[in-house]
Amino acid sequence: MDLGLDVTERDGYTVLAVRGEVDVYTAPRFRERLIELVSEGKHRIVIDLEGVDFLDSTGLGVLVGGLKRVRSHDGDLALVCTQRRILKVLEITGLTKVFTIHESVDAAVGDGQG
Amino acid sequence: MDRVVELEIPARPEFVGVARMAVGALAGIRPGLAYERIDDLRIVVSEACTSAIEMLAHQPPPADGRPAGLRLRCIDGPKTLEVRIEAPGSAFDSAFPASEPEADVDTFRISLIRALVDDAELRTTPGGAELCLTLHRDAAAVDVDGDDLPG
Repeated sequence: MDLGLDVTERDGYTVLAVRGEVDVYTAPRFRERLIELVSEGKHRIVIDLEGVDFLDSTGLGVLVGGLKRVRSHDGDLALVCTQRRILKVLEITGLTKVFTIHESVDAAVGDGQG
Repeated sequence: MDRVVELEIPARPEFVGVARMAVGALAGIRPGLAYERIDDLRIVVSEACTSAIEMLAHQPPPADGRPAGLRLRCIDGPKTLEVRIEAPGSAFDSAFPASEPEADVDTFRISLIRALVDDAELRTTPGGAELCLTLHRDAAAVDVDGDDLPG
């Protein structure tokens, strides 16, 4: 099972685009990449979930862990997600109230500038 | 008529996707489960298998030296689809904890299992525990004889 993790810089934000299935097998790579980014000083992070086919509680744990890390550096972590199946998981677990969720990367990087 | 499909996977993270894929494919054979509900079931199967794998990783290996496995028994009936996941020991403790969970992930897991299937019941078996997950098919898609399959 392949997990894609592509990092780009956009308008002062680090965008991590995730592709594939995030579960107990692939989540450790996702977690490690996020930890690397934070330790490199990237504290304004946007995670693009549009390419994610599957996300369970293990993946949610990675997202929450990432948010805690960047906030400890006065940073922030926002999500990009329009997929109903992923939004449903975020809603059931109450995380739509924890994360700022945008419809596009453009909206996510623009939002912080306002 | 019920059809039973069984699958045994090693209790290792790389096999959770196999369980998800197999159950998802089976769930779509008969009518009566919308694609969204099959997606829900895939999530709950993933949660259950992950819970068992994480618990078993902290337990001593079996005395016979064989790696622990998870046995999935899918009972595909005209009105319900049941997925029974059997694992050794107290493998589902994080999915059905005796007290309120402390870790975020455990809280998320419990919320998802409760929300996404019609029924989730934990049973004790001679060698461990069995988590029984049930989805009810949409009654409009199932005829009175339950003879909903072509041919």
